[in-house]
Amino acid sequence: MPEKWIYWLREVSAKHNNVVGKKCANLGELTNAGFRVPPGYALSVQAYNRFMKETEATDLLLKFLSAFHADPDNVGDTLKFEEASMEMRKIVESIKMPPDMEETVKQYYAELCEITGRENLYVATRSAGPVSHPGQYETYLNVSGAEDVVQNVIRVWSSTFNTRSIIARARLGLPVHYDPIGVAVLTMVDARAAGVIFTVNPVNGDESKVAIEASFGYGEAVVSGSVTPDRYVVDKVTLEIEERIVSDKGSEFAYNPDTREMEYKELPPDKRKIQCLEDREVIELTKIAKQVEAHFGCPQDIEYSISGSLPFPESLFLVQARPESVWGKKKKDSVLGKKSGFELLFEKAMTPTKVKVG
Amino acid sequence: MPEVKKFPYAEEVVLPPELEGWEEMYPPQRLFSKDREDWEKRHFWYQDKIHAPEPMYPLDDIFQEAWQISLSQYTTRVFCIPPAQGIAQRMLGCYMYITAVEPPPAAVVQEKAGLFGKRVPYVFENYEKLWDQWLEKFQRLGKEMESIKVPREFSKFVPDEQVFPAPRGYTEAYELIESFNTIISLIFKAWQYHFEYLNLAYLAYLMFVDAARKLFPGIRESTIGKMVAGADVSMFRPEEELCRLSRLAIVQPPVGDVLKQNVSAAEKIERLRGVEAGRAWLEELDRIKNPWFYVSCGSGWYHYEGSWINKMDVPFSYLKSYVERLEKGEKIERSLTEISEERDRIVREYKNLIKTEDDKKSFDDAYKVVRTIYRYAEDHLFWVEHWLHTIWFQKIGEFGNILTKSGVLKKPDDIYLFNRFEVPMLLEDIATSWALGEGAPPRAKYWMAKAEKREKILEAAKRWTPVPGLGVPPEEVSEPFTVMLWGVTTEKVGEWLKGAVGEEVTVIKGFASSAGVVEGPARVLKLLEDVVKVQPGEIIVAPCTNPSWAPVFTKVKAAVTDIGGLTSHAAIVSREYGLPAVTGTGIATSVIKTGDVLKVDGTTGIVTIVKKAGA
Repeated sequence: MPEKWIYWLREVSAKHNNVVGKKCANLGELTNAGFRVPPGYALSVQAYNRFMKETEATDLLLKFLSAFHADPDNVGDTLKFEEASMEMRKIVESIKMPPDMEETVKQYYAELCEITGRENLYVATRSAGPVSHPGQYETYLNVSGAEDVVQNVIRVWSSTFNTRSIIARARLGLPVHYDPIGVAVLTMVDARAAGVIFTVNPVNGDESKVAIEASFGYGEAVVSGSVTPDRYVVDKVTLEIEERIVSDKGSEFAYNPDTREMEYKELPPDKRKIQCLEDREVIELTKIAKQVEAHFGCPQDIEYSISGSLPFPESLFLVQARPESVWGKKKKDSVLGKKSGFELLFEKAMTPTKVKVG
Repeated sequence: MPEVKKFPYAEEVVLPPELEGWEEMYPPQRLFSKDREDWEKRHFWYQDKIHAPEPMYPLDDIFQEAWQISLSQYTTRVFCIPPAQGIAQRMLGCYMYITAVEPPPAAVVQEKAGLFGKRVPYVFENYEKLWDQWLEKFQRLGKEMESIKVPREFSKFVPDEQVFPAPRGYTEAYELIESFNTIISLIFKAWQYHFEYLNLAYLAYLMFVDAARKLFPGIRESTIGKMVAGADVSMFRPEEELCRLSRLAIVQPPVGDVLKQNVSAAEKIERLRGVEAGRAWLEELDRIKNPWFYVSCGSGWYHYEGSWINKMDVPFSYLKSYVERLEKGEKIERSLTEISEERDRIVREYKNLIKTEDDKKSFDDAYKVVRTIYRYAEDHLFWVEHWLHTIWFQKIGEFGNILTKSGVLKKPDDIYLFNRFEVPMLLEDIATSWALGEGAPPRAKYWMAKAEKREKILEAAKRWTPVPGLGVPPEEVSEPFTVMLWGVTTEKVGEWLKGAVGEEVTVIKGFASSAGVVEGPARVLKLLEDVVKVQPGEIIVAPCTNPSWAPVFTKVKAAVTDIGGLTSHAAIVSREYGLPAVTGTGIATSVIKTGDVLKVDGTTGIVTIVKKAGA
């Protein structure tokens, strides 16, 4: 029996990192833990493997590379890598999936349409590397129809040949023609607003706070730093919103049905500076984030989307969760030291408070 | 933006001409002086809006004199907080200014450190027992003050009992002089007791704030306030008794009905006497009246505020609204269990967020220290400023009466126009006049003219707005009260400076004392009696608030004060009632007008004037 290469999200968990890639494994973990995650399925690393090996892809790529010579450490050769990337992606994207794979991907998509009750369901095809390299590979949003899903899965695979990735692999002496990744096919949330949650205040490492960033439209706007998001800091214990910065968000990342592309659309002036989350959404996101952190046991960096068509709180979806990278990794040293209450009192009694003016 | 780095020195302050002669009301050691100029100018003085928000009547000034000694000595000579010294006072234009005295020489700090280490742990280890002893001796002192006999009037001839079987040897003339001396001694002693544990309670609080801040850099003071708040403290008892009396009233319908009527308290009491259930209810009221109705209608610091016991309209108006609310099925009591449970939950969850075992232990220990003693801050307040001051004012009223009957005062309250060193002169004058026999006049005209003049000066002082600070703001403050109670911090002084240069202010910053955000119309309460004007849904803006206002907090949306930190009354009560509060703004009552629409954010400590009244 051939190795399994496609999974429903609920079939995977954190321990499947190397099978389906980190993002898929974490989404599976979240789904199984009862968090609201958009329904979807994952193509494993084995799927990439099969595609590359059972089709003429590998041969063609190796053949192309045998004639390609450039120095990844030489900035002057960047242009050469760019041309190579275009060529390699063209090769990959023009190849068809093995017929049984294509059939299965379409079947899963059909089932997803059935589960969600939508014909030609919009999905996102997201890359999921076994080691996390955020932003390195690509993600395609608002993909609709079985044919397009298949084609966009291939596009995600082919994004392992984007310029920065092939340069990076060449530099590390890794095979340039091959870098297996997983792909997540996730139901799109019709995002009214979206953003990122940190379960630690990224400004000062205060673990009693949750920091939430939010902007209108899809989360890519916040994740990529293309807009200045609204920002909230909420106390984990009292659930009070302690800081609230409403920014001029400028534009939103939205789907243009005419071009069938995602694009930045300028917000009307009266919408740019209004708060894009309701307070109850902020509080609910905080509660969810606390649970996610408790589930994984360390500070988390979470991406969320809020559906514009579903009622609160069913409208809140998690689309990513990973360990927070700055404070989460710091070793926790004792701040106060082991002191008795009286020692602390004596210290305080000895320290004057500075009062500065002007 | 105009920049000011200093406030005027005392001598540079221009007083209104109507205040001329104000100095003679206060003893010379309480005035700014040429002979102490260097020392005075080295210190930064600010107006004490907590204890002296209004012009100071000379006899009411006795509490200030007493606390200057008492507060300071516990820091400098008893518990010896090493780098801290006392708080000094000066009068200027009838308002009181205070300063934290500069730190002592290094050698003294060392010496104090040794004593602190020896004396302070003992207090924390034995606090429960020490509190019981404190309360017992304090109640004894109060009863002693109550038992002072002030002659109602001079008798024409002393009665026979004072001659037979053996002459007593002294008369009413002596009794009058002695009883005043006694009451002065007792009030000073009471104020000695007042600070017995307060400095340590505040120090413990500041220590806990520091520890919590180190662990959680963003922790709000309002959250810390919730962690340390005691629920079952004496200061809340009077209100609990009102709730209990209200519940008693509604199960005896005639009583509840009378309490709801729109007549004076005296009339209600009369009507209750007419029915049996009413008499039983009044009996219950009488049983708890002393001490629980010995609550000042204000702060307890001014004679004209009155107490529930002699202004029964105040507690009866609260009873009326409680009865009405009970009949609507509302709950009137604060739930002590809920408050305690919420407090424990917050502490527990915060502790769970701490990563290392060492820190958990230190946090636990720090918390235990603050919880041990912190309730003193609310407990002592009832017994001293409310219960004892009520007794004091009643007794002083008796001295006022005899001075009036003897013709040297126009009305009993005029006694407050003379300071505690002068009152004995008036008493001696009438005693002498009585002793001399018929027709020997006291200096009635002299005293009355003095009283009249002083009354006018105080009226003028009330209309004058004193400058918030005098001199150059300091670099550091090591005196726990200054930081904690008066809330003098960098930001605070900066805000005061802003107010001092008269900028148009629409955003006011203070302490985030009780979380939440609301919008509503302002009710500025500059004078204590304005509290009766408060309408439901308003935001009260006051120099500071008083415990007897507690029932007002059930109808307002938020509270904003000029002065006071997180443990000020407004902060505590707002947290109890779940209202947003911003305290210690320094300038709220001078910037905000009644009717302005405010947005109060008790989580960030920011008050915004959204719309000016009439705009």
